[in-house]
Amino acid sequence: MSADRPVMRSDANMADPDGFYEAWVAAHEGLSDEESNDLDARLVLLLANQVGDPQVLLACIAEAREQGCRRP
Amino acid sequence: MPVGARYNGGMSAETWKFAPAYELPHWPFVAPPDLGAGERIRYPVVIAGGGLAGLTLACDLALRGVRAVVLDEDDTVGVKGASSRGICYAQKSLEIFDRLGIYERIRAKGITWSVGRTFSGNDEVYTFNLQDDSASEQPPFINLQQFYLEWFLVDRIRELDTTDLRWKSRVTQVENEADAVVVEVETPAGRYALEADWFIDATGANSRIREAMGLEVNPSRSTDRWCITDVRFNTPFRTERWTWVDAPFNEGRAVWQHLMADDVWRLDYQMAEDCDPEAISRPEVAGARLRAQLGPDVEFEFVWIGPYQYRDHLLETFRVGRTLFIGDSAHVVSPFGARGGNNGIQDAANLGWKLALVLAGEAGDELLDSYHAERHPAAVENLTVCRRTARFLAPRSRAEHRIRRAVCALARRHEFARRLANTGRMSQANAYPPSPWVKAGARSVQNVAFDGTTLMHCLAGGTRFLGLAFGADAATLVRLDELAALFPIDFRRVDAAGPLAAHLGAAAGTVVIVRPDAYVAATMAEATPEAVAAAMRDALGMDERARLAAAA
Repeated sequence: MSADRPVMRSDANMADPDGFYEAWVAAHEGLSDEESNDLDARLVLLLANQVGDPQVLLACIAEAREQGCRRP
Repeated sequence: MPVGARYNGGMSAETWKFAPAYELPHWPFVAPPDLGAGERIRYPVVIAGGGLAGLTLACDLALRGVRAVVLDEDDTVGVKGASSRGICYAQKSLEIFDRLGIYERIRAKGITWSVGRTFSGNDEVYTFNLQDDSASEQPPFINLQQFYLEWFLVDRIRELDTTDLRWKSRVTQVENEADAVVVEVETPAGRYALEADWFIDATGANSRIREAMGLEVNPSRSTDRWCITDVRFNTPFRTERWTWVDAPFNEGRAVWQHLMADDVWRLDYQMAEDCDPEAISRPEVAGARLRAQLGPDVEFEFVWIGPYQYRDHLLETFRVGRTLFIGDSAHVVSPFGARGGNNGIQDAANLGWKLALVLAGEAGDELLDSYHAERHPAAVENLTVCRRTARFLAPRSRAEHRIRRAVCALARRHEFARRLANTGRMSQANAYPPSPWVKAGARSVQNVAFDGTTLMHCLAGGTRFLGLAFGADAATLVRLDELAALFPIDFRRVDAAGPLAAHLGAAAGTVVIVRPDAYVAATMAEATPEAVAAAMRDALGMDERARLAAAA
């Protein structure tokens, strides 16, 4: 890990962000809340395995947690 | 649970059978010379507690010529009754028992296995075969009721006739003095006190010795409830470790299925957290669980029904002056992964040779600090591993259930997700971190057969290190052999193209120094006598002793 690059990247790395958003939303269509939540959990796991690097994964978990706890 | 009784369940017509009680050996109390002696007798090593850890240490010391006294409050082996605590003995433990001379009995009586399968619902989601990583003469695991192992150890200790085994002898008080530990003992023939150079607390999880010394272990108790049901039947299930994350025949909760000696299966069922332990262990209730798993036709006998909650704890320091803590008195983990008994055995093997060298004057007593420096991190590692498994098996929220469901769903199709299905990471010989005694850290060497012998055979005589000189020429060996007069080490030329070289990744010219507990003390690509001598001074703590003396 070079010193000038943070562990978790926040720059735009997705080639087609709108396409990803559309596909993610579409995957939830017609599902109950329970089924949707299960789908997202499976998705996290599949994506986590694409990332692999434990430092990046822990940084992403920390960031997601901080967002969720931040007051509006 | 009374054994041998018959209970006709009120809820069904089935008559539940109980296996006859095990006939365990009993050894007589013999009045020791201390009773009625005018003054306290002094002994080099006194071990309180004749369980796995205490007996392993006594046996190890006996083979090193150290006469230990073992004080045990009972006169038999095992926990009271027929319940077996530990059942899975790991390769490192089996290698130790090979060196101690009881491995063949264990192998003949126990169940050898290496394959584990994890199921979710009706689907297999993870499989491992520990044999894939094994180069040892011993298998990855043998299952055996704990009391058999303790029994074999007592037989061996008696055969060696070096150890003073004192039954019906309860430690009531311990005084840690500067130059001795004074131990008060209660026996059927009265009380006496003895003195020990070194005192070992191996009295288990509820050690009163530890408590009386005011030592904190930060215990934590789970809310997760289980019920062991040991049953005898001879339907040929495979002799593998089968675990269910969420068994359809146990209301979606976890189940363990494992064979031990005498056709006894350990079936361990996870229960609802709010269950009544008395109700779920009634024969008709336990029997109904078995019928749901085994079907209507399998004939079985109950051996033991035992509800339990697991707990863990860790002592902050494993050495307090002249007292050392081994086994459950020092550390307790949840039962997943067989990291309890195996680590008590490995504590004993770590400590035995160090005590022997200190008592023989070949190392300073600072060497005993390395017992804590090595076994405490091992206990921390085991605690972490077991807590992770416990968390996987007992989700605490809807979100945790969801995460686990995702793992099990993906594990049905994807290799990566199988690695997350955690029903126990089986006990391995822990690596030790870098320390003054092993500058590069230490890892265990398996009991590899090589050049017509085995590593354990080479380590079985006395308390000597083993210098493995791979592909060394005669002149090099002569130079190295001169060190044998200065340090407790013997050298041996080893085939650089053989299995031990492959196991250690050692090229020709390399010298690997193996400690008496089969851990690597140092690996040297170019072994000069000076470098080997420096490694031996490290391993024995000689430089550490000088450093401490200078600091003082």
